Amino acid sequence: MSNITKKVSWSSRGDELGPVGEGTPLLNGSEQPRHSRQFSEGGSLFQIDRLSTVDLEEEISAEEESARGQPKEIPHNSKLLSLKYESLDYDNSENQLFLEEERRMSFTGFRCLEISRWLICGLIGVLTGLIACFIDIVVEKVARYKYEAIKQNIERFTEVGGLSISLILWAVLNFSFVMVGSILVAFFEPVAAGSGIPQIKCYLNGVKIPRVVRLKTLVIKVCGVICSVIGGLAVGKEGPMIHSGAVVAAGVSQGRSTTLKKDLMIFEYFRRDTEKRDFVSAGAAAGVSAAFGAPVGGVLFSLEEGASFWNQMLTWRIFFASMISTFTLNFFLSISHNNTGDLSNPGLINFGRFESENLNYNLYEIPLFIAMGAIGGVLGALFNFLNYWLTIFRIRYVHRPCLQVMEAMLVAAVTASVSFTMIYFSNDCQPLDSEHAEEYPLQLFCADGEYNSMATTFFNTPEKSVRSLFHNQPGTYNPLTLGLFTITYFFLACWTYGLAVSAGVFIPSLLIGAAWGRLCGIWLASLASAGSIWADPGKYALIGAAAQLGGIVRMTLSLTVILVEATGNVTYGLPIMLVLLTAKIVGDYFQEGLYDIHIKLQSVPFLHWEAPATSHWLTTREVMSSPVTCLNRIEKVGTIVDVLSNTSTNHNGFPVVVQVSENDEPSKLCGLILRSQLIVLLKHKVFVELAGSRLTRRKLQLKDFRDAYPRFPPIQSIHVSQDERECLMDLTEFMNPTPYTVTQETSLPRVFKLFRALGLRHLVVIDDANRVVGLVTRKDLARYHLGKHGLEELHLAQT
Amino acid sequence: MSLRGNCLIFVFFVINICAFVNCDEGTSLDSGDQVRPDSPGLPRVPSSLLVDSFVPLSLMSSFPEDLEISNHCLELLSIFSQRYSDYVKCLVPAARPVRVCTKCYSGYGSLLNAYMNISSDQMGPSNESCRDSLMRSDRLMLVYVLFSNMQDLWEKSNCDFCITEKFQGVNNETTHFMKNLNQTLSCFEKYQQGNHTELCKNCKSSYKGLNELYSSMEKTLCIDVEDAMNMTRILWSKNFNCSMPRGETVAVIAVSSFMLFLPIIFYLSSFLHSEQKKRKLIHPKRMKSYSSLMNIQDKRS
Repeated sequence: MSNITKKVSWSSRGDELGPVGEGTPLLNGSEQPRHSRQFSEGGSLFQIDRLSTVDLEEEISAEEESARGQPKEIPHNSKLLSLKYESLDYDNSENQLFLEEERRMSFTGFRCLEISRWLICGLIGVLTGLIACFIDIVVEKVARYKYEAIKQNIERFTEVGGLSISLILWAVLNFSFVMVGSILVAFFEPVAAGSGIPQIKCYLNGVKIPRVVRLKTLVIKVCGVICSVIGGLAVGKEGPMIHSGAVVAAGVSQGRSTTLKKDLMIFEYFRRDTEKRDFVSAGAAAGVSAAFGAPVGGVLFSLEEGASFWNQMLTWRIFFASMISTFTLNFFLSISHNNTGDLSNPGLINFGRFESENLNYNLYEIPLFIAMGAIGGVLGALFNFLNYWLTIFRIRYVHRPCLQVMEAMLVAAVTASVSFTMIYFSNDCQPLDSEHAEEYPLQLFCADGEYNSMATTFFNTPEKSVRSLFHNQPGTYNPLTLGLFTITYFFLACWTYGLAVSAGVFIPSLLIGAAWGRLCGIWLASLASAGSIWADPGKYALIGAAAQLGGIVRMTLSLTVILVEATGNVTYGLPIMLVLLTAKIVGDYFQEGLYDIHIKLQSVPFLHWEAPATSHWLTTREVMSSPVTCLNRIEKVGTIVDVLSNTSTNHNGFPVVVQVSENDEPSKLCGLILRSQLIVLLKHKVFVELAGSRLTRRKLQLKDFRDAYPRFPPIQSIHVSQDERECLMDLTEFMNPTPYTVTQETSLPRVFKLFRALGLRHLVVIDDANRVVGLVTRKDLARYHLGKHGLEELHLAQT
Repeated sequence: MSLRGNCLIFVFFVINICAFVNCDEGTSLDSGDQVRPDSPGLPRVPSSLLVDSFVPLSLMSSFPEDLEISNHCLELLSIFSQRYSDYVKCLVPAARPVRVCTKCYSGYGSLLNAYMNISSDQMGPSNESCRDSLMRSDRLMLVYVLFSNMQDLWEKSNCDFCITEKFQGVNNETTHFMKNLNQTLSCFEKYQQGNHTELCKNCKSSYKGLNELYSSMEKTLCIDVEDAMNMTRILWSKNFNCSMPRGETVAVIAVSSFMLFLPIIFYLSSFLHSEQKKRKLIHPKRMKSYSSLMNIQDKRS
């Protein structure tokens, strides 16, 4: 029995480790569930085993015994795997229908497919660019109205008194925008919350996040981003672009929208997970490219996040999509800025040009950069740590949509009032400069002809603030202003991420980093002898921004390239790389990256690159699920319907077996069939009896399966009459005749590698006689992870 | 080479003769397709004067005739030199407070004129182009550099925005502003002695009027106006300390601390009243057999 196995193996581990082993939280945690399960479903077959288990495990307390009756409930934490998430079918089912279709397809047919792939990538680029352009223009226009209104109000009340009214006006404006965005997200599409990067990461990893690539999600994401940026939250519009690009890709490549119930009857070949995944990675790349003006960065982002399914032609196509996307954005922004054809706005965020003479760096500055990278790592870890606990609190207590909306509104109001207070009490006045014209200069209590320097950072969209931190002349900000700004914005951004609004964390991180980086620059310049200009604050602001962003999101290669491309200066490649490297190393020492934390908190069965390091001693036998629900090759319809309707199991893949003997023992494996296929078969009533009686009936084709994709109807919606239940179904034609199999002795890392590299969904475990003994799925593999006490196991939970 | 040289000598010769004949009437020879160079506002200098003013030049060992600069060009050069020095003489005293536009616009106008005469590609009386001989013959390009300095200065100070076209005079807007400015400054002077609060009260209307006028003016303003306004603002805000006081600290603090208080209530109440979300644990089916246990133990031992 596996729990005994487990027990023994763990205790033996414990013996080796000394006293620590027995007391590991894993041990108790993983044991308890098993007992209760046995009680609830233990059949006669396992009776003996269970008894023996009880005999063996004497430390089970009475309390645990009493808890066996009902499933155990625990508060949400990061060590769970949700049942909600399923795998995507990245492995192609090579059944007879597939082979038939392939045979029918001519050479030109394949050529056309290749061409339409390129066409789709082009379309993805164009549409993603247009969406980015739309977001940018709307945000710019509406934000202008908002800030002009507040500015006028403040100017009026500075003179006659009553600035608290301006404060309330500002808060109410923010409040109402955020309310709209948050209602959209919380009530209509919760999956559109946040930046969407964790979700896309999961999708490319092979996890099906419900509703993540739907048109409705896209619409709500776009509106939500606009609302939250205009609402003055500490957020950016760049992260959501990646999600938007992915949705566009998933939609365009299918040639239809299930939401709109429109089918253009094109691109039908691409209606399956394998093809869709490739386009989604192109869409994500196009999104990055539009957000940062970084086409290569976009490709590398897709590579970093979904690299297990990659080939050279795909890379080239993705690069094409990225380029088209940044070009489209560039072109349409130039039209909206009234200088058509001036292609100087490659991305939503424009870092400006870093080309001036004193922005060059010297060899002796590299250690300084590395030190800043370490600071960024520490601050990033702190950010993630705070956000982790905040998110847990939110999942546990703030889970009702109306509470989420209220929370978002409160954050908006507090952001406004904190900003206002900071501006109000700031004594940092700077002369107005016609060259670096501030967009909304606030005078407040400054002398005439001067403006409040704090207001340039708070009283502006975050993108503009980042740019002014990078490029304003030395002396524009005094250190106190920057210090206060950094601290305030750090906590605001940390508080904001994870709210039920669509918003990204890139820009706030850059802004925090740019502020303290500039602070470092000012400090270094004051150390250096007078007249020396090597410590240009703008350069250090850039390095600080890179360090902070790296410390929070922990991306490596793609982030380096994105930043280098966004600054447009290749010579910054080395310092940015070193900074990100240091930030990641230092940050990983304390805490994981923000996206990984959120993936974990969502209880997603995410497969990392490698199996946990110390897991070679685990064999498939302990990892797999067993016993397996198998179907016979010619199975009674009633049995199939019953199996599919069983809500307690909800399996998705069923090994197909042929009975060799009349014994009760498992029979030989001959194929694998998916729930979705069975449902389509049931819907079309492909029964053996009917096939004989109705010869005119059209033969089922692969097209019928594709038409039902991706929203296969639930089994409850399929009506099967009592007579039909007695019919038989021949699965030979439809099952995958050559599923991947492993033997029971295969080690976990080996299975893991196979699973990850091939993008499998089910891996059948067989014994030496080709009999099915178990099934390995994503959740079986994803539950092992390396914790503080060695290998730990996550629980499966209903969420 | 020799052919070209010969031609040049011939041309110069002809032009020189023509120049001597016609110069005094201020016209050049209209021969063939040559256009009459119109030189507005450029008075012709008698050639005698020309010789006098370039005495040092004549001390130099002279080049062969074909490389010498024609008298016409020398004349243009002398005019340029005269106006250049006039303009600079005007500029320097106008540096502080900045009045470079309103005081020296006419000087710049005539300097520009002189330069235009040199740099136009119209042929002189002896069918030669002074642009080539004066401006492009050497690496230094003194005339060009000198003028472009002045031009830069002019453009940087945005003088075009307060001078009428063709350098006729200061434009209305600027005059109006300067008038208002003088009013304000005289007001300042009147109340300067003693308590500044008096000044702040009494000059407020004229200062405000000036400020509004300034902001209503065009976006780019010439340096004179800008500097005058800056100085007045500094006087007003720094010297006389008439800026807005920070008057309602209490109200702002009250409102913002109320806002800060709301989330605390929110989180506390949701912690206390909202039921904690629990997750039901599901128990996976696992293989149960002694054989596997044995195997593991074997393997690990």
